[in-house]
Amino acid sequence: MKIKTTFRTGLIIAMLTLAGCASGPGGGIYVPVGGEPAKAPEPPRTSTGEDEAPVWRKSEQPAEAPSEQEPPRTSSPSYSETGEGLSPAALSLVREAEGLLKRGDTSGAIARLERAQRIAPRSAEVYFKLSEAYVVSNQLGSAEQFTLKGLSLAGNDTRLQRAGWSLLADIRRARGNVAGADQAEARAAAL
Amino acid sequence: MFRFCAIGLVLLAGWTVYLDAVVTSRFEGRRFEVPSRVYARPLELFEGASISAGALERELQLSGFHKGAGDNPGSYQRNGGRFIISTRGFSFPDGDEPARKASLTISGDRVRNFSVIRGEAAPIIRLEPAQIGGIYPAHKEDRVLVELGQVPAILPATLMAVEDRNFYDHFGIAPLSIGRAMLANIRAGRVVQGGSTLTQQLVKNLFLTRDQTLLRKGNEAIMSVLLELHYEKDDILETYLNEVYLGQAGVRSIHGFGLASQFYFGQSLGDLDVHQIALLVGMVKGASYYNPRRNPDRATQRRNLVISEMEQAGLIEPERAARARGLPLGVSERPSYSENRYPAYIDLVRRHLSRDYKEEDLRSEGLRIFTTLDPAIQYAAEFAVTDTLPRLGGAKLAESLEATLVVTSKDSGEVLALVGGKDPRFAGFNRALDANRQIGSLIKPFIYLSALQRPERYTLMTPVLDKSFTLEFDDGRRWQPKNYDGEERGEVPLHKALSRSYNLPAVRVGLDVGVDVVSDTLTAFGVDTPISQYPSMLLGSVSMSPITVAQIYQGLATSGFNTPLRTIREVTDANGEALSRYSLEVAQVADSAAVHLVQYAMQETMQEGTGRSAYNTLSQQLTLAGKTGTTDDGRDSWFAGFSGDLLAVAWVGRDDNGATVLTGASGALPVWSRFMAQVPQHGFSPVVPDEVNYHWVNTERQALTDEYCDNARLLPFIAGSEPTQTVSCSGTLERRIRGWFEGLFQ
Repeated sequence: MKIKTTFRTGLIIAMLTLAGCASGPGGGIYVPVGGEPAKAPEPPRTSTGEDEAPVWRKSEQPAEAPSEQEPPRTSSPSYSETGEGLSPAALSLVREAEGLLKRGDTSGAIARLERAQRIAPRSAEVYFKLSEAYVVSNQLGSAEQFTLKGLSLAGNDTRLQRAGWSLLADIRRARGNVAGADQAEARAAAL
Repeated sequence: MFRFCAIGLVLLAGWTVYLDAVVTSRFEGRRFEVPSRVYARPLELFEGASISAGALERELQLSGFHKGAGDNPGSYQRNGGRFIISTRGFSFPDGDEPARKASLTISGDRVRNFSVIRGEAAPIIRLEPAQIGGIYPAHKEDRVLVELGQVPAILPATLMAVEDRNFYDHFGIAPLSIGRAMLANIRAGRVVQGGSTLTQQLVKNLFLTRDQTLLRKGNEAIMSVLLELHYEKDDILETYLNEVYLGQAGVRSIHGFGLASQFYFGQSLGDLDVHQIALLVGMVKGASYYNPRRNPDRATQRRNLVISEMEQAGLIEPERAARARGLPLGVSERPSYSENRYPAYIDLVRRHLSRDYKEEDLRSEGLRIFTTLDPAIQYAAEFAVTDTLPRLGGAKLAESLEATLVVTSKDSGEVLALVGGKDPRFAGFNRALDANRQIGSLIKPFIYLSALQRPERYTLMTPVLDKSFTLEFDDGRRWQPKNYDGEERGEVPLHKALSRSYNLPAVRVGLDVGVDVVSDTLTAFGVDTPISQYPSMLLGSVSMSPITVAQIYQGLATSGFNTPLRTIREVTDANGEALSRYSLEVAQVADSAAVHLVQYAMQETMQEGTGRSAYNTLSQQLTLAGKTGTTDDGRDSWFAGFSGDLLAVAWVGRDDNGATVLTGASGALPVWSRFMAQVPQHGFSPVVPDEVNYHWVNTERQALTDEYCDNARLLPFIAGSEPTQTVSCSGTLERRIRGWFEGLFQ
């Protein structure tokens, strides 16, 4: 019973965040195939001059392109400060899952959430919801991992971060990991 | 004497009862075997779903939709990018999907204006999944079972004409034929003729050994009569068609006409021509003796004899017979063992079934297996392999080349497509699962990840030494690794050493963090076989299958979360009851912050390093991360990389492990890029972990600098590991101005 009470905070917070899941579309740009006609692939260049000294193992810097003549950079590695939100389709599945969870059908809820995850694989909320479902089915190990995964996608959204760390603290406490729980709680408080 | 006879009779009666039990139990087990139906993943349609119009139409056709007005369930209408689709409804393991009529437009490879116009409103609908195959999970191998009503009528007719004319009249044995055969055998002094009925032959196939002893003959006769007593002629004939021995492939026996048809002709039984049916019937007499691949002349003679029998029995016209006798055997060059359209993928499904489900569950018949195969992705993957391979390294080399491509969904670990060789329809050696090949430089991200997990010692900017050295072992052996181009560059920053795949810095860093630490990292990411602890492993002397490579790269693609690869979402029994479900799992196996830094260098690989030729094929907008791999003499050409949605691993090489002129960039990368270019998807843009901050730095000076400075690079650092010194630069005015406005106009 005590475990349940402790969890309530985390769950409520996570649910609250879901209501406000209007976070902008972070992540990579969608690149359609039709929009940009791909150029014909360049015929692969092969070098047959294999007369160098015996090598134990090769790597693959093209010998014809020493570093001085490298082409100038045209773009830089990409990154996102924010995670991705839930699309209406994914959100509808999450809502269905919530209903099933309330009725005690955890496996049905997990199946819906996995569908939502396939549609919105980079949304922290989906993983927090999966974590909740695993808490309800008392699989705390899985719940902890899904929370961590959600946190890795929360980006700089403090509300999501706080929800995730609080959830993590609850799960860790229930698993008897007091130090880990305190640490997670401190992270939540610092936000 | 009477007593003796009585005892004999009782013993015989007991023996008969025993044989009866054997016959019925075994025959029942073989008779009504229903295959498990294997489904592709259902296509989900919703506003914003990613799919091209062509792919949607292909998918609809694969799921059995008809083109038309789109009014009747199971039909669709297409008008340019506009679709009207009437679904039939489907009973999924997690609930029923009702029949609906929906309208949508495909624009920019996305679903737009999606709405349900008939049936229950919903923001998302699932099409009924395409059935992609049938398997018998309790058997270790693919079987191709046929029903009597489905086989061409000429097959059983020919079979009876040649092997057992009175099949429908006798009671299991034909004493007259036996007498005739005995006479012939006595005359010859050895066994030259058999008088077996089809029933006896079936009994022999099902229950007995091949040696011809008198006791076995007796058992065979009793069992044949028993079989006839219990079952209808058609049941016996159908079972015969599925059980008869028709060849051998290594340790594997080819039983049944259905499988034999695939094995010898690569065709379905229903598509065979007269001369092909004649060959198969002829082989019943001796599958090895008349093996058309090994003894084509003998097989042709036998086939023509059967064709003549067909003609005499009035099954075919004389002209047709003459024409058939003149045809070549028509046997396919390479044997195929399956009639499944995606044999390599189904092979993995079968292995995952035995890995994740209880054997007794799989024995129940008529299972429904819901897989993760994405037909559109599979289509693109097969095309990428078959289209690219012939153009690699010249025509002569291309002929000997093989290739594999594994595609997974980055964040769910679902295997979306699998190509096991250059002929995707060929069911044989599955290179994607069973070709264990050295991974070459694919190991480098794991070396640098092991190092970057110690931010107090390594950052992306840390200078590493690109300078040769010799390692001397205790037993006196020496090891001197070299760079591919033979050059040495002195100090290079770590990110550059990885993106350009220099060997010497990788070995130095690997030796510094420890071979055992790198090996532990690989194990954490999913390598489940022992890893060599020799320093040469740092240059990828470790062997892995393409599917294992996909597994370990999954963790790199998802910021350190290992997701076990899956092909099965759910299995239900024939009544729709779900067997134990195998759910999505994630497990953090590495610090997200350190993985983020590796992801940076793997993106740099695509933009400036060994993977940059990918952008000859791909749109610059599609941000990607990846790594090339090559082994000695180009024996293996690898590329493993990911976008925001997909992870793909390509391998190109020869089955005999021979040399090629290919590198990872010139062999596997073109296959990989060709695949990526056909799939609409999101670019890779990882979320920055909490503990990571980006700073403008001058990597040569090891210091923070200003954005507009020459040589300035925006690098991620784990908090606390960023440089403390700052260098300023004068920079040209033009460059400074560009720096100020850069963010504004993007």
